Amino acid sequence: MAKSEFTNSVRRLRFENDEMSQQGLAEKAGCTRQTIIAIEQGKYNPSLALAFKIARAFGQKIEDVFQYNEDSNR
Amino acid sequence: MNKTQKSAIYCLFVLSLGIMIYIYLFIMKSVPGKPSSTFWMVMYFLVTAAPFIFLRKKQSPNEPDADERDDLIKKRAVVCSFVSIWILLAITSIAPRFIVGSEASIPAWALPLINLPILLIAMGIYSIAVLVQYGRGDKDGEK
Repeated sequence: MAKSEFTNSVRRLRFENDEMSQQGLAEKAGCTRQTIIAIEQGKYNPSLALAFKIARAFGQKIEDVFQYNEDSNR
Repeated sequence: MNKTQKSAIYCLFVLSLGIMIYIYLFIMKSVPGKPSSTFWMVMYFLVTAAPFIFLRKKQSPNEPDADERDDLIKKRAVVCSFVSIWILLAITSIAPRFIVGSEASIPAWALPLINLPILLIAMGIYSIAVLVQYGRGDKDGEK
């Protein structure tokens, strides 16, 4: 059975966008700062809606912000 | 700290304070000259009502009251609390048989003392489950 893993570039993009704060990104995405922290640490995978909001906050496509890596262990 | 975390901490604070006051009143019930139970109840209400200001204050004016992650955490905490109620009800239903005997009886006034704490414990478990899921945070939490 293939093992899947989600990664993201939220932290890198945040610094590339005028060193945006976590609070600033949270306000743009309509979520709490704690959720942004959890996403950056890989502890939480956002819903599709929130993922799109975060991508739009950076002016990026969703696949440029969130990556889905399928790791097969056979 | 977001509103969900604050609510959980506040709930634990109210429960802990209530338990301490209850134990104090129980121990001191026969001591002459102590303040009346009414006095302690009023003080308890004032002390637990004051932190509402703390609950209302947001990290940011644009912060939502709860987002999708908060809802997921609360949902899991409710499941934890629900399971704990089942376990505690089972224990309080079976334990008296072994404590007082299968043919003995329990006075009616004892039933609220046995069953109501189950709800309070469930509230406490809900709050702890919320706080455990949020974790302690790290240095990134300061940005």
